[in-house]
Amino acid sequence: MFKRAVLTWGATLLVLALTGSNALSAPVAQTQTFAQTTVAPTQTPVSLNTFDPAAAGGRTVVKWYVGLGTGANPTQIEVERKVVDDFNKSQQSIYLTMQIVDNTVASQTLATQLAAGNVPDVVGPVGTVGRATFAGNWMDLTDLIQANNFDLSPYEPSVVQSYNLPGEGLIGIPFAVFPSFVYFNKDLFDEAGLPYPPQNFGETYMGKEWNFETLRDLSKRLTVDDKGNDATSADFAPDHIIQFGFDLQYRTGPREMGTTWGANRLIDNEGRATIPANWLASWNFYYDAMFKDHWMPNDAYRNSDLFGKGSVFNSGNLAMAYTHLWYTGSIDPPSKGGKVKNWDIAVIPSYQGTTTAALHADTFGIMKASQHPNEDFQVYKYLITNKDLLTVYGAMPAIKSMQSDFFGGLDQKFAPVKVNWQVAINSLAYNDVPNHEEGLPNFLKARQATTDFQTLVNTTPGLDINAEAQRLRATLQGIYDEKR
Amino acid sequence: MRLMGTSWARRESTWGLLFLAPWIIGFVLFFGGPMLVSLGASFTDLVLVRPGEVHFIGLGNWARLAGDPLVIKSLLVTGNFLLIAVPIALALPLLMAVLLNSTRLVAKPLFRSLFFLPVLIPGVAGAIIWKGVLNVHTGWVDLALTGLGLPGPDWVNDPQWVIPALSLIGTWSVGNAMVIMLAGLQNVPTELYDAAKVDGANAFYRFFKITIPMISPVIFYNLVLATIAAFQYFLTAYVIYQNTAGPNNAALFYMMNLYKEAFVYYNMGYASALAWGLFIVGLAITIGLFAGARRWVYYAAGDR
Repeated sequence: MFKRAVLTWGATLLVLALTGSNALSAPVAQTQTFAQTTVAPTQTPVSLNTFDPAAAGGRTVVKWYVGLGTGANPTQIEVERKVVDDFNKSQQSIYLTMQIVDNTVASQTLATQLAAGNVPDVVGPVGTVGRATFAGNWMDLTDLIQANNFDLSPYEPSVVQSYNLPGEGLIGIPFAVFPSFVYFNKDLFDEAGLPYPPQNFGETYMGKEWNFETLRDLSKRLTVDDKGNDATSADFAPDHIIQFGFDLQYRTGPREMGTTWGANRLIDNEGRATIPANWLASWNFYYDAMFKDHWMPNDAYRNSDLFGKGSVFNSGNLAMAYTHLWYTGSIDPPSKGGKVKNWDIAVIPSYQGTTTAALHADTFGIMKASQHPNEDFQVYKYLITNKDLLTVYGAMPAIKSMQSDFFGGLDQKFAPVKVNWQVAINSLAYNDVPNHEEGLPNFLKARQATTDFQTLVNTTPGLDINAEAQRLRATLQGIYDEKR
Repeated sequence: MRLMGTSWARRESTWGLLFLAPWIIGFVLFFGGPMLVSLGASFTDLVLVRPGEVHFIGLGNWARLAGDPLVIKSLLVTGNFLLIAVPIALALPLLMAVLLNSTRLVAKPLFRSLFFLPVLIPGVAGAIIWKGVLNVHTGWVDLALTGLGLPGPDWVNDPQWVIPALSLIGTWSVGNAMVIMLAGLQNVPTELYDAAKVDGANAFYRFFKITIPMISPVIFYNLVLATIAAFQYFLTAYVIYQNTAGPNNAALFYMMNLYKEAFVYYNMGYASALAWGLFIVGLAITIGLFAGARRWVYYAAGDR
């Protein structure tokens, strides 16, 4: 009888061990990474092709490929279908068809189609990473712009110029821009009795220059353990933090971290791998913030249930998050039970008197292998200025006259929260040149090396960051030197 | 009479082939064809995003593979995992099968179902859940350890704990092996145990001298499957670490490295060589296992 009871209890314990994690863990949240701008993962992989031979008739077929950036969630697909239908109804000579591929496999799918000779004509929206991945496959639009008298004057010239790549020409026209700034949780500031961070460039904070030292001191006061001690207290317990002061929300890569302390590159003018001094200083600063002073979460904290499994600001347990405008897509509005009830945005601090607000920008491209560039460009013009697409992508229009409508939509979404969007608009003037996402030689491998460095720095205590940076430099040099 | 027999046999084989045709066509189109193409690609520098620049490079990819530090690292990670996970993948299902085979256990069908249940959870969902369960700050494993006064390791982020963590997650999917082990146990003739009991053999002796030898073909079968699965290990590590392969490449399994070459860098030529390299290594180890099996696997019928 005793043996029988022991066996039964043993079996029960084994069952609990094998299945218990299901019952005892919090609901699963989708792991999110933002390798590219504006991408929110969809629940199920999407694959859709609207081509209808009967509807095409004898018209020239232009294929639009969606997925390298945003564009594959159900709401967006509905609008994209309408955009395509509207175009086709207006056309006698061109038939527009759309292929939508889930972002998780869009890059691989496009690469396979390229290799198979089944090349789409127009691709977008696509961010800097997507453009760099397929470098050499984009058409130079200069002649098409001239031939069609396309007016570039509504665009910021420096943003247009950022698409003019050496050896490739003008590969895109600005479509959407995503400036960066500091999101802050007003309730957590109020609770700590601290004033909100500045909303104008050049403003001071509590009489001090709004720089990263001030940000650090402020963040320490907003980082709290489970006993209520903040990070300035001698009793503060770094293993039991329940609220952090600051995070680089989805911007923890070396190039992303570094850019907050000034624009730079991991390659010098002679093509050698290099670690810029200001970036190295920033890596040490943020590393200490995670593992020494503990006012910024490391990956273990970021990915925990308490901190939103990566979406730290949206968890309601983070006072300040520096990231891009696209993060508005990850904040749950109060009407949908969002945990951040009262938030606003502030300007990024300066480093040694210089302010740099990193910029993400999306565009569309025409593939070089396309057989009918003139027809493609008619589609291109239509898509690049389409208001419905900008709205459904949550993208700030690159054309200034279209921006007020966009922010009006965000105000509606987050009502009654009132956000000072002028901060976002003003941040555009401080964008990073060169852009932190700009292509590097042997781009895919170089990018992987930076991602590996990012993982190491964000997960591992006790590192010598200077030594790790030199290792990264050597790895990158090897990658740059590889014969392709 | 003989002519009639030949004609009937021919007709039967024709019908057999006809019924098999869907599978054969599917295999040739979706497995055999791509395998041959990948073998050909392994001798080229095919990069998917540069389709116009493909060159025949002979054994270039194979020479690179032999000296690639990432391949060596990935083999070490895979080997390390194999040494930890495969014994667990054999011992744990055997233990569970013995438990389920016990005459003293009540509600056997219930426990059998419950033990098998985790197999039905999709691998991706399981990996995401486990990532939360093993979180150093909020995962219940570390919370339990902390409650017992023990330091909880950072399972997912500490390079030292990555392989043990993935091995622990692997226990989730031992249900299939358990069912096979249980079937093996139930086929052991009870007369052998009766005779051993009459001779005074205790439970320990009966287990190691009767049970293990009698189910050794089943254990061997599971050993081969678990070894091959260890070489093909990818999904859980990918879901947890995505393209990063963990801190310091601690989760750079052979398949992870292959995936990165093929679908992150698009180096299809080199990735094809890596895939065939894995096939050769897997084949060699399987042949080795079969050679060694002669010494410890017992077949009651005297052959395999």
